[in-house]
Amino acid sequence: MKKSLNSNMKDIFQLLMVLLGMIVFAAILSKGVFIQPINLYNILTQNCILLVVSLGQLLIIITKGIDLSVGMIVGFSSVLIVLTQDFGAVLPIVFALGAVMIIGIASGCLVHYAKLPAFVVTLAMSQIVYSIGKVIGGGAAVYSGFNGSPISPGLLSLYTGGVFGIQYPLLITLACIIAISLYLKTSIGHFTYTIGGNQKTAYLSGVPIARVKITTYIIAGLLACIGGMLFVARVGLGDPQAGDALTMDSIAAVTVGGASLSGGAGTVVGTIIGVLILGVLNNILNLLNVPPAIQPAIKGGLILLAVYLNSRKISER
Amino acid sequence: MKMGERFGTYLSFLNKYSAIIALAIIVIYGTLFVPHFMSIANLKAILFQYSIIGFLALGQLLVIITGGIDLSQGSLVAFTSIVAAVLMAQIGLVPAVAGAVLFCSLLGLFSGLLVSRTKIPAFIVTLGMLGIGRGLAKFVANAKPVPIADEFFRSMGRAELFGIPVCAILWVIASMMLYQFLKRRRLGRYIYAVGSSEESARLAGINIKKVKLFVYTMSAFLTSIGALIWASRLGSGSPIGGVGYELESIAAVIVGGASLYGGTGSVVGTMAGVMIFGVINSILNLSGISPFWQGAIKGILILSAVALSQIQMRRSRKA
Repeated sequence: MKKSLNSNMKDIFQLLMVLLGMIVFAAILSKGVFIQPINLYNILTQNCILLVVSLGQLLIIITKGIDLSVGMIVGFSSVLIVLTQDFGAVLPIVFALGAVMIIGIASGCLVHYAKLPAFVVTLAMSQIVYSIGKVIGGGAAVYSGFNGSPISPGLLSLYTGGVFGIQYPLLITLACIIAISLYLKTSIGHFTYTIGGNQKTAYLSGVPIARVKITTYIIAGLLACIGGMLFVARVGLGDPQAGDALTMDSIAAVTVGGASLSGGAGTVVGTIIGVLILGVLNNILNLLNVPPAIQPAIKGGLILLAVYLNSRKISER
Repeated sequence: MKMGERFGTYLSFLNKYSAIIALAIIVIYGTLFVPHFMSIANLKAILFQYSIIGFLALGQLLVIITGGIDLSQGSLVAFTSIVAAVLMAQIGLVPAVAGAVLFCSLLGLFSGLLVSRTKIPAFIVTLGMLGIGRGLAKFVANAKPVPIADEFFRSMGRAELFGIPVCAILWVIASMMLYQFLKRRRLGRYIYAVGSSEESARLAGINIKKVKLFVYTMSAFLTSIGALIWASRLGSGSPIGGVGYELESIAAVIVGGASLYGGTGSVVGTMAGVMIFGVINSILNLSGISPFWQGAIKGILILSAVALSQIQMRRSRKA
């Protein structure tokens, strides 16, 4: 069941305190450089892709699932968008969204109708998607369309340009945040919590489980695709491995943000703070001269800690 | 009704030996239609390559029988190879190998502790361990491959006895030992009991925590053996190697007839599952199919195998 408003507020307050503590710590470490507006702004823009992808991961985790394929979908859509550049600036993105939608439908159906565990379905799906990305891209990063058209300047300006001094990636991320928050307020969005809380109860209350679940996987795929688009705009190429780290990072962000792997709990605000905590943590690790090589270990440990604390919190209630 | 019963026995027969039958069909296909498949050199190559996955799959089998999963194996392969390579330069062959196996098993023990003592799902624990193992491997190796100088160690991965790869012989011996263990030892039977119904196992007085601790430690231990063979063949330790190996071992175990929900799975089925993937891989290579497709084919095979075992389970529940 969805947690009461009060305990939600308390969790978010705790998370904000953790984030604030980390920011103060980083500020002291860096002798004030960290809290200069430009650095804080950079942390925001650097973590846009992660945030967009994490929103999808959040929805799936609320339904008691998990998506181990989001990272590979980011890479796959980046390859697809670059390879179809021959068709102009907009059509490639439509293609990629369509392709990713099919992946989402396939995963959702396998999870719901075939009743396979979500982690197996999405793990296998990540292999399939990665492999297709390599086949169509020739196994390496791609820089231009099939017929050699360069990446359209419009797409590239998506990362550098902006309005009112705010870069487009931030605006796109903001749009995604608002869209997902609104979606969770709709009846079908609200059902994601119902299903995650107790699928049997949800079924008996007449919740259209199939529709809700499949929609969830489609949305997660679409968000990963937007992540892939932002990647292309940022780096100027498509790479099947682009999102390698994003799967783990998004799970870390969502679980740090207070979502429970046993389903039914998790908030958009919590996930945003979770992403920021990860971003600030990265910055602190750099300030402390921790070699980047050990970062997967730290993130793995962080996931375990967050999941452990969440599961204890739930059993206390 | 009688027809149905007879059909049922046929089905359960097929079910029991499905992996072996599938392996036979694929081998026959390869022999008839794929040039160079049935050659000593190719069969040896399959054994050399897939006895590594074979060791991983034996460990994965134990974990899957208890209803768990070990996603950390690929990273542990990299971790073990690095620890072995770094230690070998410092303290010599035998202590280095022992140290690598020990450290890897300790990571497995840690996973086992978390799975058995906390409520964290196994796939999250081992996913976390996947990150931890990879990070530690990169950290110890400074993110660079570490060459192994020891000639004896390097030759072990390529050694043959009567023309059969030694690593494959070791794998078969390990499989036979595990088969006996699962069939005849008390702890072996407990592993199935815990996987079939944790609640009944607990009520029957089985120490579930101990069983779970054991399977995750064993999985890491067997993985470290596979990793040593891998490092020996590579001639170095690699912090970025072994990516996705856990997927192959899971696939082999599932294709071999185990259920992801625990309680079933056999050593013989798993061996057949490993060989199915070895043979398919070889056929794909020999037919000139892009290696890029192999991930997709593996993914589809896993999904179909899991879906099939799911259908069978539902049917047996109805019956």
